[in-house]
Amino acid sequence: MKREQIKALILTGDGINCEAETALAFTELGAQAEIIHISDLIENKNKLKEAQILALPGGFSFGDEIGSGQILALKLKYALGEELKTFVEEKKLVIGICNGFQALVRLGLLPKPFSKRTMTLTHNRQGHFINRWVDLDVPVSECVWTSELRGEKISLPIRHGEGRIVFKGNEEEQRATYKTLSSNGQIALSYRSDVNGSFAEIAGVCDPSGLIFGLMPHPEAAISLWHNPGGADKGEDKGLGLFIFESGLKYCEANL
Amino acid sequence: MSHVYRFEIYPDLFNLKKVTSGETALKSWFQTYMQTTFNHIWEVRYFLVETKEKIENMEALLSEVFCDSVTEVLFSSESKNQELYHSWLKERGFSNPCLIDVGFRPGVTDNSAHAALEALKLLPELKRMPMKVSSGVMYFVEGHDLSAKKLTELTYEKMANFLLHKVTVTMTNDLVYNERLKNIDFPNVQISAQESKEIDLNVSEAELLKLNQENCWALSLFEIKHIKTHFQTQKRNPTDVEMEIIAQTWSEHCKHKIFSSEITYSEANLPKGVKPLGDLKIKGIFKSYIRGATEKIKKERKLPWLVSIFHDNAGVVRFDDKMDVCIKVETHNSPSALDPYGGALTGILGVNRDILGVGVGAKPIANTNVFCLAENKYFRDNDIKLPLLLKNPDRIKEGVHLGVQDGGNKSGIPTVNGAFVFDRDFVGKPLVFCGTIGVMPQMENNKSTSLKGQRPGDLIVMAGGRIGKDGIHGATFSSMELVDGVPASVVQIGDPITQKRLSDFLIEARIKGLFNSVTDNGAGGLSSSVGEMAQATNGAVVYLEKALVKYPGLSPYELMVSESQERMTFSVPRDQEKAFLELAEKRSVEVSVIGEFTETGFLKVNYEGKTVANLSLHFVHESLPPMELKAHFDLGTKSDHWIKKEIKKPTLPKENYKEILLSLFKNPNIRSQEHLVRRYDHEVKAATIVKPYTGSTEKGYSAPSDAGVIWMKPHGGGADNALAISCGLCPKISAYDSYLMAEFALDEAVRNAVSTGANPDEMVLVDNYCWPDPIESERNPDAKLKLAHLVRASQALYDLSLAYGMPFVSGKDSMKNDFIGAMDNGEKVKISVPPTVLVTAMGRVPTLKAVTTSEAKKTEALIYLVGSKLTDYQSAFELKELYEDYTVEYPLPHINGKKQLDLYRSLHKSMREGLVLSSHDISDGGMLVALAEVLMGTKFGADIELKGIEKKDLIPFFFNEGCGRFIVTVDKKDQKEFEENLSGHIFSRLGETNETGILKIDLQGETLLEVHNDECMSHYKIEAEGKL
Repeated sequence: MKREQIKALILTGDGINCEAETALAFTELGAQAEIIHISDLIENKNKLKEAQILALPGGFSFGDEIGSGQILALKLKYALGEELKTFVEEKKLVIGICNGFQALVRLGLLPKPFSKRTMTLTHNRQGHFINRWVDLDVPVSECVWTSELRGEKISLPIRHGEGRIVFKGNEEEQRATYKTLSSNGQIALSYRSDVNGSFAEIAGVCDPSGLIFGLMPHPEAAISLWHNPGGADKGEDKGLGLFIFESGLKYCEANL
Repeated sequence: MSHVYRFEIYPDLFNLKKVTSGETALKSWFQTYMQTTFNHIWEVRYFLVETKEKIENMEALLSEVFCDSVTEVLFSSESKNQELYHSWLKERGFSNPCLIDVGFRPGVTDNSAHAALEALKLLPELKRMPMKVSSGVMYFVEGHDLSAKKLTELTYEKMANFLLHKVTVTMTNDLVYNERLKNIDFPNVQISAQESKEIDLNVSEAELLKLNQENCWALSLFEIKHIKTHFQTQKRNPTDVEMEIIAQTWSEHCKHKIFSSEITYSEANLPKGVKPLGDLKIKGIFKSYIRGATEKIKKERKLPWLVSIFHDNAGVVRFDDKMDVCIKVETHNSPSALDPYGGALTGILGVNRDILGVGVGAKPIANTNVFCLAENKYFRDNDIKLPLLLKNPDRIKEGVHLGVQDGGNKSGIPTVNGAFVFDRDFVGKPLVFCGTIGVMPQMENNKSTSLKGQRPGDLIVMAGGRIGKDGIHGATFSSMELVDGVPASVVQIGDPITQKRLSDFLIEARIKGLFNSVTDNGAGGLSSSVGEMAQATNGAVVYLEKALVKYPGLSPYELMVSESQERMTFSVPRDQEKAFLELAEKRSVEVSVIGEFTETGFLKVNYEGKTVANLSLHFVHESLPPMELKAHFDLGTKSDHWIKKEIKKPTLPKENYKEILLSLFKNPNIRSQEHLVRRYDHEVKAATIVKPYTGSTEKGYSAPSDAGVIWMKPHGGGADNALAISCGLCPKISAYDSYLMAEFALDEAVRNAVSTGANPDEMVLVDNYCWPDPIESERNPDAKLKLAHLVRASQALYDLSLAYGMPFVSGKDSMKNDFIGAMDNGEKVKISVPPTVLVTAMGRVPTLKAVTTSEAKKTEALIYLVGSKLTDYQSAFELKELYEDYTVEYPLPHINGKKQLDLYRSLHKSMREGLVLSSHDISDGGMLVALAEVLMGTKFGADIELKGIEKKDLIPFFFNEGCGRFIVTVDKKDQKEFEENLSGHIFSRLGETNETGILKIDLQGETLLEVHNDECMSHYKIEAEGKL
C-alpha cells in the first residue's frame, strides 16, 4: 500500500505521555497517525481494523503503580484481548516504546504472543529513573522495525526507572530463554554498555515474526538532529530514531 | 459483614536473595546518619483490600493484579501455607527478624491504592464489588540492640512521616504468630461533620485574638476589627464558613498584603559603593516596581507580544506565529518543610494547574525546579546542633528531589531547567520553586484562548480530585511561621495520574468548546477558585453538599476551604452541561456540578438547604485598606545569627590556582547535580533541544548547560522557532547588599538565556521572592531591615528590567520563611532564610541556527572572555565561602544595564550569523570555573596566554563574580566578523583550544596552572553524601 494510506493508531489516556511525538514521527514520514484514547478505542473496536500499525507510546500509565505497564496491560487484556489477537494474526505491526514495551510484555505479546510469560521488565539496577542518551547496537534480527538500521551503531535517549530485562527461573532457565530469543532473531536492540542491568544488555526485543517490537529507548525523541544531546551533533537532518518508524512503514508498503 | 484481606508481595525463589539498591541505600543511610548498623533490611510492599463480604479464591484472583508472575509471588491472609514466609526469611538470611510496618493514616492520599482499586475493577469477577484498598510497605530488619522504641524512631527519621504514616513495630518474638494477617485494621476515616455556626465577634480584643489563634485564621487584629465593623453594619455575626472564606482570601499567601502595603523607606550611612536610594514612599511594591516596570516597558517599547499579564494565573506572551506561550513560577516552602516529598510534588502539580487554568486552559510543556537547601554535612562537620523537630536537611533534599521526579515524570512534562543552591540558613525552611511553561493556540472556536469568559448563569463544576480533610488551612498556614504542633491536615500528597487525566480532559474539552472559563483550585480551595471567578460575573451560589468527597463527615467550612489536590473549577454553559459531563465520564475524570455564577454581588454558600455564607464580593475583595509599614536600611543593624559558633575554614592557598579551582568544583553551589537531574525526565515531548547537561559524545554529556531550549514545532508552533528558559538567584549576596543580590539574579537569568541563543529583545521575566518575615513584632526585632532588603531588591529589579526592556509577566512572593523552635536545652531559636529573589527568564530563540551550547566544539578555536576582567574588585563570593582569609570588599561590581543590553544584542547577532561555536555564562566561582567547564565536557584543552594582567590581579581575575560575562569560542575564520560585532564592548581574547585535554594558563612565560579536563570533571562530579 501507499505511504500516505498507512494508518498508525497511537494509544493515549490513563497516563500515557508520548503520544504526540510518536504521532509526529509517523506523520513526518508521510503516513497517517491517529491519537486515540484507550476508552474510545474500547468503544470503537473497529478502529483497529482500519489501521496497519498500533503504537503504545511511552509514559506512566496508571502512574506506574503496582508495576510499570501492569494495569494498562490488564485493561487491554480484558477490554481488547480478542481484537488485539486478530490484529496480530493479520500480520499487522505493533510497536511499544518504554511504558508501551512494558505493557506489551505484561500483556504477554512479547517475547512470544499467546504463550506463558518468561520475561519481564523490572527496576533498573540503580534503583531509580534515568534519563540519558545511550549507545546501541542494532543486531541482525527478524525485527522489521529495525530493517533500515541493521548493523548500525545508534544513539537514543532512555527515560525509565524499570527497564531491566529479567527472565523467569533459575540461571540455567534464564540462559535457555535468552538462547531461544537469540537464535530466533528476537534480540532487536542492545545497549553497548551495561546501562540498567538488563540481561545481556538487551534494549529491545521482537516476537518471532518480527512484527511486534518493544524497546526501552525512545526513537520518537530522536527524529531530528536537533534532538541530539551535544551541541556539536545538532543540525537540520533526520535523526536516527526516525529510521525505526521508516522501517515499519517500508514493511507496510511492501506487505500490506 | 466486611472482610479485610492482606496481600504481601515477595520475590520468587530465584529472586529472593537479590538485595535491591534501595535496601542498600537504607542501610547506608542509617549507618551515616543514625550510627545504626543493620545486618539485613528487606523491603516488602503490601495491600489491604476491604470487601463487603468474604470472596472465595481471592488470592488466585488477585495474584494477576498484584504480582509479576515472572519474578514475584503473593503471600496473603488467605494463603494455605502460613509458614511460607518464614522459610523465605530464612532463605534471605534472617534469623531474628523484626518487622516494621508503614501504613497510611486514614484519609491520606494513597496513590498505589487508587491504582490497585482501579485494577481490581478491571477483573470481571470484581467489577461490581464495593471495595476499598490501602497500601503499605513493611521492612524486615535485623541488627543489634534494637528495641521497638528505637525502630519506631528510626522509621520516622527516614521511611515515614508522622503526619502521614502509621508505624507498627513487631519484635522477633511476636512475629511468629503472624498477627498482622489475622486482625487486620483497615485505615478507615471516622469523622463527623459539625454544623455551621455563628461566630460572635462582639467580644474583647484578647478574645478576638484567641479565636484567631484557635481557628488558624492568621488574621491581624486590624483585619478582625475590620470584619467586625462590616458585620455590625449587616446587623449580624459572621458564620464560621464566612470567617474561613475571608481568612483564606486575606491570607498573605492569597492577597499579598505585604506586596501591596505602603512603605516608608529610609537609610543610614552606607558603605562606599552600596547604592543609596534616599528616602522613599512606596505605594505598593508590586504596583510600583513590578507592574510599574512592565507598564513602562510596554509603553516605551510598544510591545505587541504581551498578550495577557498580571490578571490571570500566569502571563501570556506571543513568541510564536501560531501558539501563545505562558509561564508561571510558584513556591511551596512550608509544605515542603513538613513533608518534603508531598510538598514538592504538590508544588509541581499545583503550578501545572496554574498553567491549565490560564485563559480557557493552556497545555503544560515544560517544568523548572529550583531548590534552596542546607546539607547535613555542614552541621556535622562543624559540630552544630540543630533545633528540635527540624528534619535532617538531607532527608529534605531527598524528599523534594523525589517529589520533582514523580511530579514531572509521571505528568509527562519535561524538567528543562533548574538549580540547587545551598546555604546553612535554608535548614529551617527549604525554598522549593516550581515553574511551568505552557502553550495554547492563539484562537480556538473563534475565541481568543487567553481570555476567560464565565457568564452569569454558567454552572460551577468542580473536576478532578475529591474533597478531603487534607490541605485545610494551607493558605493561612503558609502565611505563618513554622511552629511546633501544626495540624496534620495541612499536609497533602499529590496524585499525578488523577491530574494527568484531568489535564488531558481539560484540553480536549477546551478544543470542543465545552466550557467558558476555568481556574485551578489552589490555596484556599473552592473559596478562592469560586471567589476569584465570581468576581468577573459579580456573584455565585454554591451548594456544598453536591461536591464529591473522599469520605463523609466533612463540615461545611472544610468543604469550602480544603485544598485537596488535583481540582479545577470550570464555568460550563448550561447547553454544554451534558456533553461536558459525558466526556468527563469517558476520561475517568470525576466532576460535580456545585452551583452557578450569578450577578448578585454576593458569594452565597448553601449546605443541605441552609445558607452558611452570604458575603459581599466587594467586601471580601476590595474593602481592606493597605498596610502601612516602615523600612530602614542600615547594614550595621544587629541581627543575631542562630549559629553563634565560629566556623573554622582553611586559608587561601595563594598562587596555587589549580588547588583553588578544584576546591571550588567541589563546593556545593558549583558541584554537579547531574546524578539528581538525570532522574528527572528532561526530554519527554521530544522538544528539549538544549538539555540540562551537554558535552561531546565521547565524554558523555556532563558539562552544565546555561538554559533549557524548547522547540516549538512539536507543540504546534513554528518549525524554526524555540524558547530558552533560564534562571538566576544569588541569596549569598543578600548579606552584602540586597540591591546587588537582585541585580545578580536578574542578570544571571538573562545572561543564561542569551548565552543559549535567546534574543534579548524578545525576553520576559518572572520574579519570585522568598523573604524572612518583614513585619515587626517582639520576636522579629530586625523586621525593618528585612523590609528594607525587600525595597532594595525590588528597586534593583525595576531598574535593571527597565534598562533591559524586559517586562515581568508573572511573579509570586512568599513572605514568612522563618523557622521558630527550640534547642534541646530549651533555648528558643529562629532561623530565617536569606532574602532570596529568583528570576526566571523566557526568551525567544528566533531560529534554531542561533541555538548555542556551552561546551567547546573544536580544536584551534579562539577563546574569548566577553565582558569585564573585573580586576578592580574583591568580589569572589565563593572564595569567601571556602577560605578564612579571603574577604569580600565594597564597592562591589554593579552593572550598566543599557550598555550591557547592547553587548547582549551584539553577541546574539553573532549567534544568529553562526559565528559563535560555544558560549557559557560566568557565574558562581568566577571566570576560571567557567573556562574549565567549557572544556571539561570535551576532549579539548586550551592554551591561554594572559596579557594585560598583573600578577596581583590574578585572584580577582580568576575568581571574582560579577554580571554580564561569558566565555565564548569562535572559529578562527570568523574572528574578524565576531570582533567587529563586539566593537565598542569590553572583551579579550584569552587563547586557543587544542587537542590536549589540558587547560594551561601562562603569564609572561610562567605557567600559572595546568589541569586536565578529567581532573576537573572528577572534582565537579563528586556526589554529596547520603545516597538517595
